[in-house]
Amino acid sequence: MTVPLIARNTFREATRDRVLAGVVIAGGVVILGTQLLHTLALGEGRRLTTDLGLTTISLFGLLIVLLVGTSLVAKEIERRTIFNLLVRPISRPAYLVGKWLGLSGALWVVAGSLGLVLWGVLALQGHGAMGPAVLEGAYLAGLELTVITALAVLFSALSTPVLSALYTLGFYAVGQWSWDLREFARQAPGALKSTLEVVANLVPNLPVFNMRALAASGEPTTVYHLVLATLYALVYCGCVLALASAAFESRDFK
Amino acid sequence: MSRSGVPPWLARALAAWAVALVLGTCAYGLAATLARDLPRPHPLEELSYYPSGRRMGMVTLGHAETFADLAWMRGVQYYGEHRRTDMRFTRLYHVFDILTSLSPRFVPAYVFGGFALAQEGGNFERAEALMLKGIEENPTSGLLAFELGFLYYVKPGGRDLNRAGEYFEQAARLPDAPPSARRFAAYVRQNAGDFAVARALWQEVARHSENRYLREMAEREIRKIERALTTGRVELARKRLSTPSVSIQQTP
Repeated sequence: MTVPLIARNTFREATRDRVLAGVVIAGGVVILGTQLLHTLALGEGRRLTTDLGLTTISLFGLLIVLLVGTSLVAKEIERRTIFNLLVRPISRPAYLVGKWLGLSGALWVVAGSLGLVLWGVLALQGHGAMGPAVLEGAYLAGLELTVITALAVLFSALSTPVLSALYTLGFYAVGQWSWDLREFARQAPGALKSTLEVVANLVPNLPVFNMRALAASGEPTTVYHLVLATLYALVYCGCVLALASAAFESRDFK
Repeated sequence: MSRSGVPPWLARALAAWAVALVLGTCAYGLAATLARDLPRPHPLEELSYYPSGRRMGMVTLGHAETFADLAWMRGVQYYGEHRRTDMRFTRLYHVFDILTSLSPRFVPAYVFGGFALAQEGGNFERAEALMLKGIEENPTSGLLAFELGFLYYVKPGGRDLNRAGEYFEQAARLPDAPPSARRFAAYVRQNAGDFAVARALWQEVARHSENRYLREMAEREIRKIERALTTGRVELARKRLSTPSVSIQQTP
């Protein structure tokens, strides 16, 4: 029962944070602001709105992870409030999973609400039929943010907020290039090829969560894609959180 | 301390490592499956509505070159993907225009974009515009002048010998031009040795290009010219010279 409790508290703390409210408002403004760019879009206004809207969800969500997620555990260690929790019968893995669930929940709220705003804007332009594609795009963006949050929790449990933000950002960048790494591996010789292939499979394969090009043309993705992406996100998060737990268990707070 | 003598925290840490290993192996396997089974996203299409590279330069916050590099990688990817599939390169000019505006001294981008547009994109006007933009931005580049001469020499639908000669000569006066520039200028000015010039140009590509695709293309073109000459079907060769299908040069 401790995991939902910690998750609820983390969620409440995150949603009360001004950063989150600010980011949601800014995201809404950006999505509405895309309407001003229509004249430059040479007839591709719908595409511009969808693309920028989904990118906004993804990037603003990343901003929340960097600003809130990377200090999630480190802040409690710094303030020593973690001692109050760990003296109770709360296991360290449960604490980390609760933290991850709470922040992920807050991010899902952000992704969901911005996704609905985006759909609303498109519906006002007469493109309401794009709803399924846009919501699928927002769902995949939410999964991406869940994976990034798991990484942020891992680094937050091990390092200072600044360093964990840098590590998380680094993993985000490498994750976005994972399929390029795989392409690179195909053309690389011998040992470099195998090394690149291993690295490409180890880093978070974030392009899996990108269906912006499809959504921009109003095409929904396949159920297979959604199922595989969900499964991958859950397994990857599980692995990262297990690593975080292993490291956190070995950490001495005396 | 537990009965087995292992401290509880260590037992929990080892259990966590074991879970991480199992899930990590699953994630590793899934990553390979995902990359194989799911369609790749097309980030390049997301670039297509940007009005121009100059405006994009403003949003790169001083990192225009880095963005140009990324755009270059995407451009090459786009080219490769469409070359393998539908041979349609509708966004190619736009991408190369963006990246050369972000990085005006990116000479290989003009060359690659120009030849891809002219020979495979079937859009010589855009190819010429891109190369001339390159010359304007890099007036002292002998390599670019040489490549523009080459582009005019193999212009689909009919060679432009005057302009080819003009740019080969310009290249010959510049320091970084290939050593053969002067020879080609002379050949073209004499308007003689059509096949010799074409074959020699392709041989340059086959010998010096670092791009495997380009070397293969050049070898294919050379074989075609030689086959036409040996079988006596010179008209066929002449027609091919006027409308070559593939020729992208990247002279080091």
